[in-house]
Amino acid sequence: MNRRDYLLRKVVIALITLAVVVTLDFLLFRVLPGDPVRAVIGRNVRISKESQDALRAQFGLDKPVFPDQFFATLGQWAKGNLGISWSLRRPVSDILTTKLGNTLLLVTLGQTFSIALGIALGLFAGWKRKTAVDVGSLTFSLVTWAIPTFWLGIILLAAGSTWLGLPTGGTVQPENIGKPLWEVWPDVAVHLVLPTLTFTVVYLGEYMLIMRSSVLEVLSEDYILTAKAKGLSHWQVLRRHALKNAMLPIVTLVALNLGFTVAGAIYIETVFSYDGLGKLFQEALDKQDFPLLQGAFLLLAVAVIGANLLADIIYTYLDPRVKAT
Amino acid sequence: MSTKRHWYLPVLLTLTIMVSACGSGSATTAAPVATQPAATTAPASGEPVVMKIGSQFPPDTLNPAYAFLAASYTIFDLVYSSLVKEGLDGQYYGDLAASWSHSDDNLTWTFTLKDNIKYHNGTPLTAEDVAWSINEIHNDPEGWATLVNYTNGFKEITALDDKTVQITLDYPISNMEYRVSFLYALWRADFEPLDTTEALQNFTNDQLIGSGAFSLKTWEKDQNVLILDADPDFYDGRPVVDQLIFQTFDNSDALVQALKVGDIDVINLVPNSAFETVKTFDNVVAVNLPSRSFDELIVNSVRDDNDTAPTGNPALKDPQVKLAIAQAINKQDLVDIVFQGLGKPGWSIVAPALGGGFWHNSNVQDVQFDPAKANQILDDAGYAKGADGIREKDGVRLEMRLQYDATSSEYARDADLISNWLKDIGIKASPEAVDADTLIAATTGVGDYDLVIWGWGGDPDPDFILSIMLCDQFVVGGWSDSGYCNSDYDQLYLDQQKSGDPADRQQIIWKMQEMLFKDNPYIVLYNYDDLYAYRSDRFTNFQLDQPNANITDALVLQHAEPVK
Repeated sequence: MNRRDYLLRKVVIALITLAVVVTLDFLLFRVLPGDPVRAVIGRNVRISKESQDALRAQFGLDKPVFPDQFFATLGQWAKGNLGISWSLRRPVSDILTTKLGNTLLLVTLGQTFSIALGIALGLFAGWKRKTAVDVGSLTFSLVTWAIPTFWLGIILLAAGSTWLGLPTGGTVQPENIGKPLWEVWPDVAVHLVLPTLTFTVVYLGEYMLIMRSSVLEVLSEDYILTAKAKGLSHWQVLRRHALKNAMLPIVTLVALNLGFTVAGAIYIETVFSYDGLGKLFQEALDKQDFPLLQGAFLLLAVAVIGANLLADIIYTYLDPRVKAT
Repeated sequence: MSTKRHWYLPVLLTLTIMVSACGSGSATTAAPVATQPAATTAPASGEPVVMKIGSQFPPDTLNPAYAFLAASYTIFDLVYSSLVKEGLDGQYYGDLAASWSHSDDNLTWTFTLKDNIKYHNGTPLTAEDVAWSINEIHNDPEGWATLVNYTNGFKEITALDDKTVQITLDYPISNMEYRVSFLYALWRADFEPLDTTEALQNFTNDQLIGSGAFSLKTWEKDQNVLILDADPDFYDGRPVVDQLIFQTFDNSDALVQALKVGDIDVINLVPNSAFETVKTFDNVVAVNLPSRSFDELIVNSVRDDNDTAPTGNPALKDPQVKLAIAQAINKQDLVDIVFQGLGKPGWSIVAPALGGGFWHNSNVQDVQFDPAKANQILDDAGYAKGADGIREKDGVRLEMRLQYDATSSEYARDADLISNWLKDIGIKASPEAVDADTLIAATTGVGDYDLVIWGWGGDPDPDFILSIMLCDQFVVGGWSDSGYCNSDYDQLYLDQQKSGDPADRQQIIWKMQEMLFKDNPYIVLYNYDDLYAYRSDRFTNFQLDQPNANITDALVLQHAEPVK
């Protein structure tokens, strides 16, 4: 099978997956207990049956879930219209765009640091196996990986705000809200320090552990021995022969994590009152805001499936054998 | 709607001592103008004085037609004006009104407005605007569900001239000042075009325009930050603080930390578990004040002939079973364990803190925690313990659901403790967390439950909380969730509304409390404290020693001063 066929097949599978997820996404929220109209009208119990019905009609909830509501929603999505949020009374796409920006900022920084540090640490530990460096970084990674995100966030928040004077929450100071990024970037940066640090520490361990074991495995291969026998230096062996092969599991992990982190680091955003997607998910679920929930989950599904597809594509470059499977 | 603590308080002003500022029979009364000190002079030039108030609970909406959360009413209190408002000392003072009086028969009330009142956009506010606003609320009971009850018994609201508002009544209303204190002067151009209930319900009022001490600058819903500016032309004098910033924290530890490091100046409602820690912070004052709120165990008291037949355990109809349950609950333990001692055991829906204690019947002795006695009561009533320790009589096992609102961690702990205590007396009550909407659907007008733990936050006047036990409130969309129905109680409720004399009214309200205590539709558990904290190195003069103190009260924030 050539690369084109392979990719084509992957894209088709991705599309099928997306269709299934979209269907589930739609149905899942409708089996939740509670009446969404209650959420829409803000628990105004005195509102008459007629007005409730009118509101239901306005939001299309008077029709059967399947097929009417389902196809109406699909039709809207096909036109690129994600609907209006019931609780915030704004277009879902606007809300998602705002939050996505904040989350991407946090997640990109956090992932970059954790991947870079995790890979470097894992490589080093694998290479210097059974030394103090290895034991130290292994212990560190296991501990940070095992620490609950929420708890670590609170500890860093307390320490950072007390000793370094870093802000305790939000994306900017209240007086800077709504100002363009280029004017307030120092404030934005200061607000990003602690959430990014938490993110980095939490994800670093995972990358390090995978990288380390992957390096160890590769280093025990016969071709490494051969390379060493040819007289290549340690560094040359590591760079030319070991690294590329050891990277495979990391690519999978990175791709998976990238997809899911679009959901926002929910815990981190909650600890730092950071206005991102993770917080949005939670709020939308609380308020049974179907359009917002569906939009957010659609975004998440696209991100996860897209990231996986990306991993598949990268594989074809990293590992020629993939094309043959 | 069953209101849950700072969540769904229908209203949130402060306590009242005397409901009617004027005794019955007095034809006219000079208004007790300015019981509050006039605002001090404008701050000296230089840096604007900004106060940052942190909380975990943002407003649900700025549209007073359907706002339910206390945080919304905090903002209304600051941005809107009403004819009168309640002072920190419990007396009503003229807000828009310079003076007011009523006729001998108490049926005609006349309010005269102060001079130079302007909306925040500079437009003068006239009596016509006030009358229009009250009519708007009065004429649309459906759209204005949260406020319309305050206009019950109003016949006609008219503007006699630019400065005079007259309200005529169908019957004498004993707590008229309290009623009008919640009827805000709306910005007519925003509300007038909303001619259907749906239009009103869809209106967010994000650009809220009022005439109060502070004007709305921005509300960033995404960031949950709301900024108010002092109104330099405020008719009662410009507030000392130039700007108030309300900031919401998603995490209680971050909220507390923010106060510690000075990111915020005030915490509105400190989490119980953090209160002792907050007290130890440098330059921070932490205060706990008794609140009008209470939590209760609702006992299904729905009558069998209800439209939807109740599904409650039939044994709950037995007064002895209810008494035994009350006797088996250790309220002091609930306060100590669940609220770290920051509250008091209670028994009445009229909290001791309401009206400075005037309305709470202190003659009643609550049943004491006594499991042995509770067991004895059930033994005597013929409920015998089976092999599994659960009691049974005539084929009815004392096995029941114990549901609670899932949003509260306190309820979960209450339920655990109560379930264990009931087990000791042979009642199996299985705790179950349920979301609030489902709980509303299962309780109001329906009766598909056995025992429910829930709570209420309260008005400054007992009228509202007493109304939740009326027969006609037990309908879908009504306030009653217990299904209690007693025609004597209903009659007393009407009597207290019309009673012109506070002492008479007090006697009636005391009697109503005794009735509820005897019939046990609610086993009231406790009244918890409201917990506040502020940076004493930044601000002072919060007047928290006043009987009606509440750190976000408009009067408190108007007069708070920066530390030099």
